[in-house]
Amino acid sequence: MLREILIIVIKKFIHQFASPKTYFYQVNRLYPWLLYISISIYISAIIWGLFFTPKDFVQGHSYRIIYFHVPASFVAQSLYAAMAISSAVFLIWRVKLAAYLARSIAPVGAMVTFIALVSGSIWGIPTWGTWWEWDARITSTLILFIMYLGLISLHNSFNNFDKADKLFSYLAIIGFVQIPIIKKSVDWWSSLHQPASITISDKPSIDPSMLYPLFMAMIGFAGLVACIVILSSKVQIYIREKNKNWVKDYV
Amino acid sequence: MNILLLLKNEALKLVKKTRAWLGPILIFILIMVAFPLTIELTSNNLSDAFYPVLFISILLVMMLATEGIFLEDYEDGTLELFLISKKSLSQWVFLKIFMHWLLIGVPISLLGAFFNLGANNDLSSSLMIFPALLIATYIFLILFCFGNSLSLTKGSALGTLITLPLTLPILVILGKLNTAIIFNINYFEFLILIFGVLSIIIFAFPAIISRIIKTHLE
Amino acid sequence: MESSYLIEANNLAYKINEVKLFTNFSFSLKAGEALHIKGSNGSGKSTLIRILCGITPSSKGKVYKKDELVFSYLGHKNALKTYLSVRDNISLLGLSDHEGLESLLSLLDLSEKLDVIVANLSFGQQKKVALLRIFLTGADLILLDEPFVGLDSNSHDLLCKFLEKKLHAGSGLIYTSHIPTGIRSKDITLD
Repeated sequence: MLREILIIVIKKFIHQFASPKTYFYQVNRLYPWLLYISISIYISAIIWGLFFTPKDFVQGHSYRIIYFHVPASFVAQSLYAAMAISSAVFLIWRVKLAAYLARSIAPVGAMVTFIALVSGSIWGIPTWGTWWEWDARITSTLILFIMYLGLISLHNSFNNFDKADKLFSYLAIIGFVQIPIIKKSVDWWSSLHQPASITISDKPSIDPSMLYPLFMAMIGFAGLVACIVILSSKVQIYIREKNKNWVKDYV
Repeated sequence: MNILLLLKNEALKLVKKTRAWLGPILIFILIMVAFPLTIELTSNNLSDAFYPVLFISILLVMMLATEGIFLEDYEDGTLELFLISKKSLSQWVFLKIFMHWLLIGVPISLLGAFFNLGANNDLSSSLMIFPALLIATYIFLILFCFGNSLSLTKGSALGTLITLPLTLPILVILGKLNTAIIFNINYFEFLILIFGVLSIIIFAFPAIISRIIKTHLE
Repeated sequence: MESSYLIEANNLAYKINEVKLFTNFSFSLKAGEALHIKGSNGSGKSTLIRILCGITPSSKGKVYKKDELVFSYLGHKNALKTYLSVRDNISLLGLSDHEGLESLLSLLDLSEKLDVIVANLSFGQQKKVALLRIFLTGADLILLDEPFVGLDSNSHDLLCKFLEKKLHAGSGLIYTSHIPTGIRSKDITLD
């Protein structure tokens, strides 16, 4: 009995909170704060990184693209995880907002992955002497990019949004299981890329004077990307719910 | 309706559509015949390049074999009939994939081992490659079925685009297996590895595919 | 639910892309009754039948079926394999040694077509083969979506008579049709 009441209360709460309308207005309030704070963090990180850190012993000044490349690669993968989690939430609890979010993350994720690929290529020219190498991480990032595009084209090819959301979610979740496997396998196949500079388990292999601005850059970049996701999700909500009265009122 | 009847039906449907059944096998033979023509006859590279070509052509042929695998049953309404008859859709998907493997995957594996005999003149490597091909064809079939079920009504190009990234780990293992066969080390480890992959996805994917098909029918 | 009802629907609603197709649809059906669903094009008749079958989930409301109700459904698609013969198509469902097969074949005028490839049959004949398979399954409830399209007047009358006989024998019938049928049935109109 108590359990049932609890479930009803939680359901009510989720439905209240996860209604696109509530989300829309809450996010509108949050958005300017997030935008200005992330911009200031990112810009100060870049100024710190570009002008106040020593140059690398081996790579010279060219390593400074790290403040762009590493945040982009990090966010590209995190976005996929976020998309897979919201897909799972949609499939399990049928929360519509989660489906909108997953769909709106996909193009942003593709964009960020593309940035990671291009900045990596630019970094590769002075460091490795080539802009493209069939290296493990480059290959798996390229595959991540292709998977984002596949997800978008899958969703776009259905007119019935409900159906499209479900299929999209299935693929996103399968892809989430597959991505680490693909990464590991390609890693196994060959690797030229330097090992990750920052890992959770080991001490970072990067000097603290470069590490702190890098962390700041990652936070700032993630915040900026979150802003773009918010914009994109607002567009999704508008597309899906344009017949609802509150959207008409808002517009 | 029992399992035997379902199996018989799938076999009947596949064999009566010669283009769906014999087509992939013939294309595989054609690729295998055409590939030596692109290399100079006197060159020794034939055996070096043989395995990559074999694996990629198997991948492509499995893609062809699964083209529209669920489309016909979707378009003529068989799936709806099946759904309301309260039978297990995932069992049906499993049996359908199994039948495709039996009628397309197994012959192609045999042919692959046979062509290996021609390229490498080595019976033992043929015997080694055969079980690997049996497993690899089954895995590819399952993965392409997954892609095709997602893009059921939207053409196989979309399904392939979705599935090809998922096949990469298998291709990497097959590449390693190739080295293992040539130098005759660690062969069984790699074989067990892909067998492990197969034993996970062989039951998991039909369940997922059946859910996807149900979504399409909604 | 009361066991005297074969199927019962409560406040069914369906919307597609957040646009409502129909709302508040309720009915109940006892054994031996027929229900004729009427409505203009695009009013959701086919979707409604698919919801009743359990293929499409409804947006709101519920369908209650009698426990272990055996039902069969024929939509716009015939579920026939056009590259197989009529006999093979019947055996696909495991019905080839059904005792009622011979009489039903002669009733629907299909006795001589048993070994013909389905693709070589006319549209109406294909429809009849599909209906034959439906009737052989011995369902308690039959759901038909526009079964009379493509049938000549002779076959139309035959089918009507046959359905009435089934109703007398105690099965239920739900169908859509824009052609008047003469089957005594309850009418429901979707708007």
